[in-house]
Amino acid sequence: MPASAHSYNVRICHWINLVACVYLLWSGIHILLDFPELYWGNTGYRGYPAAFRLADLGLSWDDAGRLGDRRWGRNYHFTFAWVFLINGLIYVAWNLYSKHFREQMLTAKPASNGGYGTLQRTAYLVLIFVFVPFMILTGIAQSPGFTAAMPWLLDMFGGRQSARTLHTIATVALVLFVVGHVFQVAAAGFVTKVRSMITG
Amino acid sequence: MTKHISRRALLASVPALGGFLLTGCSRETFLPPRVRGGLIGAADVLTMSTNRLLLSGQQLAREYSRSEIADPFPTWNQTNPKNAEYQLHASEGFKNWRLPISGLVARPRELSLDELKGLPARTQITAHICEQGWSAIGEWTGAPLQRVIEEAGGVTPAARYVVIDTWDGWYEGYDLFEVAHAQTILAYGLNGGELPRGNGWPLRLRVERQCGYKNLKFLKSIRVVDSMAGIGRGTGGTNSDFGFHWYAGV
Repeated sequence: MPASAHSYNVRICHWINLVACVYLLWSGIHILLDFPELYWGNTGYRGYPAAFRLADLGLSWDDAGRLGDRRWGRNYHFTFAWVFLINGLIYVAWNLYSKHFREQMLTAKPASNGGYGTLQRTAYLVLIFVFVPFMILTGIAQSPGFTAAMPWLLDMFGGRQSARTLHTIATVALVLFVVGHVFQVAAAGFVTKVRSMITG
Repeated sequence: MTKHISRRALLASVPALGGFLLTGCSRETFLPPRVRGGLIGAADVLTMSTNRLLLSGQQLAREYSRSEIADPFPTWNQTNPKNAEYQLHASEGFKNWRLPISGLVARPRELSLDELKGLPARTQITAHICEQGWSAIGEWTGAPLQRVIEEAGGVTPAARYVVIDTWDGWYEGYDLFEVAHAQTILAYGLNGGELPRGNGWPLRLRVERQCGYKNLKFLKSIRVVDSMAGIGRGTGGTNSDFGFHWYAGV
């Protein structure tokens, strides 16, 4: 087995994660299009001063509404949020157990030897342990059920509408990260790298 | 050491959970009336049961200060039902209307608006959270739904859901856990005045731990049932008949 081989767990979780993230992104866009404005604080409704309006980018409220189907969006967003969460927990638990994090992510290894570079390691650790929890928390901070049980979520992000805005901004950042990630894979030899994520 | 403390905390939570399970919480507390198929149905169950475990103490949804109130409160969707009977009652200021409470209650009865207003009232400044993404804070005044049902002698042992019908033809079912919550009220007041027509006059439901679409406007009647099967398409409400989540805590 070459040094760069990925374990079964990393590979399976990676591709389940990809499917979940595609659904989350697509359904999230549907949900957003149905109410294409973002606000700050606890309050935000049509006519209330907005922090961002899609109409300012040329897509009117009604046109956006016709493009977005929130019933489809909500059903799939909350389904794949669970797939994403459970898959992520399995990934983290397994890799803590198998010492993948300790050996691959926390220990410096020359990239030429198949290890991750310092920047790469930092990026993946920040993604997994900062960014993903941030997405989950800003997501459930919009939920009337979860916030009744955990009202500190509202204080953490400065209100429900702020959480919705931060959730959207973080989505854009995440998409940019994935673009960077695919670009890196392409630069490192797309076919070889993708094959290693499929076959090990 | 850390392990020891967390184990003790875990053990301490067992009686709390047991108490929760003993206080009349059954299948209906954790599962929608009809569980959908596939991954979507599995996610529905995970969402609802997780919420209900977290909310087992019947915690209140956040209440805000007066300064955060939206006045006038935004109106959305139905603002004036066309129903002829509604319009007739509206022209009489709902003076000759009674709210029927029927089905699996000890003494089915009807309550006038004045009788509802005579019950111990609850006022709460809470956020209305629409599933579309908007939210606004209002000061709602009304009679707790649980108290209203007690006026009809309370539910019988077979009761599982409270069904609310509206003047514009909508219906929704609520399990008894939701009904028992202190903030579940039939609101007749908003922001210190009478509930405006655009917000559901004369009576609307507030279920503060669920999305806007479960907070029905223009209430017409209340019935207590043992099952949601046979009502509408049998999913438990108009919204879920359309394919939305029945449990709207997210």
